[in-house]
Amino acid sequence: MNAGRWSSRWRSLRHRTAQTILAIAAIGAAVALPVVLLSVGGGVFSHELSSIEESGFSISIDSAASHGISNAHALTKEIDAISGVQAASPMLSVPVDLFPPGGSVVPVLAEGVIPAAFLETQSAAERSLLPSSLSLGDPDDTIHYDNGTYAGPSSAQLLLSTPLLQTLDLTSGTVVGLSPSTNASAGSAFTIVGSFGLPPGLLGPSPLFVALLPLSQLQSLVGLAHSPTGTLLDSADSIQIAMVPSLAASPSGVQRVASEVQGLVPYYSVTSLTQQTTEIEGAEAIITGFYVGLSSIGLIVGLLFLVIILLRRVEQERQSIGIRRAIGVPGWMVARDIVAEALGLTLGGVCVGVAGGILTVELLARYTSGTISDIASLAVFDPAELVLLAIALVGLALLASFLPVRRALRLSLPEVLR
Amino acid sequence: MTTPSGATIRLEQARRLYHAGQPDEVRALDGVDLTISPGEYLSIEGPSGSGKTTLLNLLGLLDVPTQGRVLWQGAPVERLPERERTRLRRTGIGFIFQRFYLLPTLTALENVELPLQARGLAGAARRRRAQALLAQVGLSDREGSFPHQLSGGEEQRVAIARALANSPQLLLADEPTGELDSVRARQVLDLLEEAHRSTGAAVVVVTHNPTVAARAARHLTMRDGRIVTDSGGR
Ligand SMILES: Nc1ncnc2c1ncn2[C@@H]1O[C@H](COP(=O)(O)OP(=O)(O)OP(=O)(O)O)[C@@H](O)[C@H]1O
Ligand SMILES: [Mg+2]
Repeated sequence: MNAGRWSSRWRSLRHRTAQTILAIAAIGAAVALPVVLLSVGGGVFSHELSSIEESGFSISIDSAASHGISNAHALTKEIDAISGVQAASPMLSVPVDLFPPGGSVVPVLAEGVIPAAFLETQSAAERSLLPSSLSLGDPDDTIHYDNGTYAGPSSAQLLLSTPLLQTLDLTSGTVVGLSPSTNASAGSAFTIVGSFGLPPGLLGPSPLFVALLPLSQLQSLVGLAHSPTGTLLDSADSIQIAMVPSLAASPSGVQRVASEVQGLVPYYSVTSLTQQTTEIEGAEAIITGFYVGLSSIGLIVGLLFLVIILLRRVEQERQSIGIRRAIGVPGWMVARDIVAEALGLTLGGVCVGVAGGILTVELLARYTSGTISDIASLAVFDPAELVLLAIALVGLALLASFLPVRRALRLSLPEVLR
Repeated sequence: MTTPSGATIRLEQARRLYHAGQPDEVRALDGVDLTISPGEYLSIEGPSGSGKTTLLNLLGLLDVPTQGRVLWQGAPVERLPERERTRLRRTGIGFIFQRFYLLPTLTALENVELPLQARGLAGAARRRRAQALLAQVGLSDREGSFPHQLSGGEEQRVAIARALANSPQLLLADEPTGELDSVRARQVLDLLEEAHRSTGAAVVVVTHNPTVAARAARHLTMRDGRIVTDSGGR
């Protein structure tokens, strides 16, 4: 309306500053909760999803117990032959001890891989952390592992993770011992031929001390080449499978290959990336639903607060309302003013709540440490989500004004004006 | 609209009960017949509790009778929805209360603008009309003052300006000078008389004060919810 009306509206607002602040604070607190929960929850899930997508392989075979996939080399060749498969890479992860020159012992995670295939199953992001070719002297792991025997010459080369190299102050060319036990004589000597970086692992611990070496050599070292009876094991604990680029983005294509692979190994668990993504998205939907439920309790409390304050105001202003009705101000104008008041308080609360929520997350990310800080720094503020929240609150404000409007329009004029 | 002989408002056997049918039932009005013609100036006297305010509430369409009829310009209104009665109050009736009842958060000018705004008048035209009304009651210099910054007499003059804003056919005043000293009371009564003369509106004044009643041409006296004397009418 005109300036006079608004200035009078402002004056009447100032008359009731404490109430106004209280209402805005209550709604603000109710809004801040979903802002924090949804932004942080959404952030964590989208981080998980992107780290899955970045991991590059789209199907993985895992044995139920560790070190359970036998005949890994042969199985990998069979999988390679399936159409749509770009590369298959068996992997074996075993904790071992490393003996640098000087007599100390360092526990490390040894990863046995087929160097060329391993590179191909890595995402672009992970590949950028690795040398352009894994120069372990045996790109296909066929020199040492020759036709199902371990007869060929060993390259005895390995790559170490940069943190390990730096901590032990080692350089390329140094010879170190690697052993499945603290007894150095149970192991053998390897030459360091290079280093690689590690992807940042935000959620959950990730090993910093990692050694990368040809699969067959790790199998020999830790005794997973042959069983105690002497028969061939050729063991790996997982096989990662990369799709040809034309299939990688097609869930149905990935699914077809996954079921073909499952046909080869009915006793192992085959999971595809799309499956994992679907699982995470399912979990996200459940958690988001939980957050929304939790937040609605807060919002309902905020709403009740608003209703109570509006009812109080109608009570405080019953005489003014009565006078206006008596001199012929239409009911809808009285209703409009109450709704405008509800909307004003609500929008004030939304602004305070959104700002407060963002500030809370920001402060948590900056001034806390550990997991809380890590999680808070993942938060994403989705504008669409915030707008939706604001719209929901406007709806709630309209709902909240219903009772006060009814009360105002049902005032008995003779009683009010007595 | 109205022919000279047609009534502005008419009550037929109007009865207003409070707590009807209960042990504490009150017969505030007990079968009142009253016709008010255009341009009449009428006073209502009577002891406290005799039903004067109750009668005025029916005449002002603020309340409806428990039994009986109310005819506004010949048409029955006692069963109209509240929205319709609000419209009739807005266009046809002006109220002046003993306690002034200005809106405390609005200036004098904004108080006078209120009924104009309710009628849909906007902007400069509304402002000009409100300013003219305040000038008419001699308060041009107090346009921006809030009610708490005005004397009682000034407040009542703003209330008269507000009551006249939409050129009503009926002006109702309940003890309009009840809270004023005699000098200020005379000013207010002069203004009321002036408004009566210049607009031709019917005026009804409820009062305990004989000098206030003396200004009217027709005098009613009430007792126990009934009109017991009606003198000086046309
Ligand atoms: N809301 C109500 N509930 C119950 N009784 C009421 C109500 N309003 C008025 N009454 C009663 O109705 C009767 C008439 O009241 P009314 O206000 O019309 O008297 P009045 O003549 O205006 O008195 P006064 O000179 O004191 O203003 C009184 O007995 C009063 O107590
Ligand atoms: Mg009275």
